[in-house]
Amino acid sequence: MTELYASTPMAIRDDLAAAHARAWAHVARPGSWWDGTTRVAIAGETRNASSCSLCRRRKEALSPFAIEGTHDSLGQLSEIVVEVVHRVRTDPGRLSERWYRGIVASGLSEEQYVEVVSVVAHVVAIDTMARGLGFDPLLLTRPQPGLPSRRRPAGAKPGGAWVPWLEPADAGDAMAGIYPADRPAANIRKAMSLVPEEVHSFFDLVAHQYLPGTAMRDFSREYRAISHARIELLAARVSALNRCFY
Amino acid sequence: MPNGRLLAAFAEAVLGEQETALTRARSALAMASGPAGLSDAAGVVGLFNAIDRIADATGIPLEADTAAASADFRAALGLDRFSVAERT
Repeated sequence: MTELYASTPMAIRDDLAAAHARAWAHVARPGSWWDGTTRVAIAGETRNASSCSLCRRRKEALSPFAIEGTHDSLGQLSEIVVEVVHRVRTDPGRLSERWYRGIVASGLSEEQYVEVVSVVAHVVAIDTMARGLGFDPLLLTRPQPGLPSRRRPAGAKPGGAWVPWLEPADAGDAMAGIYPADRPAANIRKAMSLVPEEVHSFFDLVAHQYLPGTAMRDFSREYRAISHARIELLAARVSALNRCFY
Repeated sequence: MPNGRLLAAFAEAVLGEQETALTRARSALAMASGPAGLSDAAGVVGLFNAIDRIADATGIPLEADTAAASADFRAALGLDRFSVAERT
């Protein structure tokens, strides 16, 4: 077991602990559009969002757009980034394309937006698991120095989602190992492809915290201590609670 | 499904705010599925709590074949009201 979970009261699969270590290191490194310091700040703000009074009032309102105010933030990020972090963390089921377009019109680039969503998702995946097991949240890692790469994949273009994405025909090597070779890529795999490095990191988490792609439909054997059926029951229940249509 | 109710209760408790409910659900699932089962269940809950956010924040639609295959039970369950297209 990696050092990450060395002192927890319960054992975690070695492969899963290693995946979490990789994910946590990824959050702290410079990304494509944000440096390590900002990425770690996004991670911290993701945790802070749960105690935001504005978010709570919006969540309880019939429409989140009816409630105005200022987020209770840690003061390390711009207001627009805080808005994205808090809304994605606390009320994702009521995000709208109009809201997204407003975010981009306010100055956040589409690429920056996708990377913020990815960092939030990494933190939520790991923190939620910790909560389920009764563990303390992992300590945030020290940010690594360096500049973001600012590399946008050349083939990314508007498609069926709010954000531009990479179709398999345009992806080149950017999505190797993510897009299957023998069938169309699921939209969830394309969702963050505007920032391929985030997709690779997040789907590494998927493979270890859920199932690898080849295992998802392999019902000839069980890959976890709980069966495929039980895994899918959990997944469906969580998605229903989050009101996630996809 | 054996332990189905325990699994659902665990997912609800992890996403909820009642600590006593979570403690109870965690203990019940651990007794039924063992530590490895509890760990894997928590992993799945965590992963889907995250991946739901990616889907909702990027506005991805259902794939055409999935939409066609699920049209009847989506309608029966009233799920279409959560669709991205309804959230403009």
